[in-house]
Amino acid sequence: MQPCSREMQAMNSLQDLQINVHTPHADFLEQMLSTTSFPASSSSSSWSDLNPQDNNAAAAAGFHHHEILASNLRQQQQINGGHDSNPFQAMKMMMQQQQQQQQMMVAGFGRATVAATAAAGVGTHQGGGEGSMQALFNSLGYGSLHQPQASFGSDSTPEVNHSQVPTAAAATPGKPKQKVRARRGQATDPHSIAERLRRVRIAERMKSLQELVPNANKTDKASMLDEIIDYVKFLQLQVKVLSMSRLGGAAAVAPLVTDMPFEGGGDCFQTSGNGGSLPRNSNGNRTPSDNESLTVSEHQVAKLMEEDMGSAMQYLQGKGLCLMPISLATAISTATCHSRNPMVSNVNTNSTGVNVSHLLLQSSGGDGSSSPSLSALTVQSATMGNGGVDGAASVSKPLD
Amino acid sequence: MNKYNPPRMNPSSLRSRFATRFLRSLSEINAQKPTASSSSPTEIFRRYRRIKVAADKSMAYSVRSRRTWSRAMLWKLRTRPCGRRSVKTSTIVRKTRHEKQNKNTTTATTTGEDGVVSGVEADELRELVPGGEAMDLYNLLDETAHYIKCLTTQVQVMKKIADFYSP
Repeated sequence: MQPCSREMQAMNSLQDLQINVHTPHADFLEQMLSTTSFPASSSSSSWSDLNPQDNNAAAAAGFHHHEILASNLRQQQQINGGHDSNPFQAMKMMMQQQQQQQQMMVAGFGRATVAATAAAGVGTHQGGGEGSMQALFNSLGYGSLHQPQASFGSDSTPEVNHSQVPTAAAATPGKPKQKVRARRGQATDPHSIAERLRRVRIAERMKSLQELVPNANKTDKASMLDEIIDYVKFLQLQVKVLSMSRLGGAAAVAPLVTDMPFEGGGDCFQTSGNGGSLPRNSNGNRTPSDNESLTVSEHQVAKLMEEDMGSAMQYLQGKGLCLMPISLATAISTATCHSRNPMVSNVNTNSTGVNVSHLLLQSSGGDGSSSPSLSALTVQSATMGNGGVDGAASVSKPLD
Repeated sequence: MNKYNPPRMNPSSLRSRFATRFLRSLSEINAQKPTASSSSPTEIFRRYRRIKVAADKSMAYSVRSRRTWSRAMLWKLRTRPCGRRSVKTSTIVRKTRHEKQNKNTTTATTTGEDGVVSGVEADELRELVPGGEAMDLYNLLDETAHYIKCLTTQVQVMKKIADFYSP
């Protein structure tokens, strides 16, 4: 792979740099300057090629390394006060941390970090904290390394993505008096690192929230939070309103009540045509054996319904079932409306931690069909896996 | 013979779980309701409260205890009706632990490099999401996301039920 070879080349150059770090200070600068130009010239183009690829890789791995580098550089900049020393320090940081991480990643990291933190440095210089944030995010590789939003008036960061090192090499000869602060263990400052991590994670969560909330214009976090708050309030208000409006509709729910006699009949029963023929259940193709129990209960329910709806409902409720029209079930599951007006019984048994829900649909076609037909669909699945019932058995049972 | 295969709901989805429970509680409410007229405003209000509580409770039960907000809501629902009901010590312990955690994590108003005053809005969000008082911002956002998802499900199901029964 071509990029890899170039990466290795860059790595080698960086390794040379690293070796030079351990020499005393006097020679340090000269060696840095001499070797800095080398990778710049040879691998700047390669780094520009690597840029899009590495970003994904960078995003995938070595998150902490990146963060540490970022925090290192941020502090470096704050201490030194001069941002054009940043690339120099960045190079040093990269070399120091190189041994600890995968070498393949560091190149992309280093570049991304350098780019990001240089941008971050400039961003903070200009008082825009958001720019630094953006720079960090961008360099974390949300697809590609975007240009940081903060405008860079400084000389070393006009072309952040591609010519970081050459400009660094160009800038550093101009400043021979460098404060070489060997900030080795940046982990000594865990607070900033932890805070940075925390902030990034919060931003990720905000992004996912932004997708949920309809008005998704992420201008900044404060407005996004306000949107979220308003949306939650709106949803809660909607629930309240719907529960008030249910009062009128609840009257129609009355037929589902236990003690309502079958002859009384609500809307769902009236249009069911021959209610008396409901209990005529004939066994269709029922494949799994554990559905036999359901068959039995269905038969019992049917028998009970024959005599008295109330007792049938009581029986169902004793089992933890409820009855609802199949059209409602379909309406709930899909957005489509109903053509028939069937009866549906939902079975939801909560037994000792295993939540097995059976969906029993019994439809009686009253509209336009001469003979009522019942078709049952049984779906059985275990929702809360307590080692409970497995699989889903769906059976369609036609009836005459 | 007419084979009618309705579109199958996923019975383990949040939506179907909530729908089941909610319909059951609705029918229970209607069972409780005496045949007297419910035209008086207090009666209506009481009924509305019951329905709303039923909706919230069924939603919280559908989520079980997997989420902090559902646990908090269940706890609230359990203790609210009887003000002097003895609270389970386990939930109290859990709450205090949460509060301790809250004190440790710095949830001060971070106006710094984020450019965002997260403090005020975070508190407001905490009031909205049940159980949010004892969470740091990070978990609070997570809970909010799940809560929003469940609320939208609840609204959808209730809308469908209302549409079905009202005309």
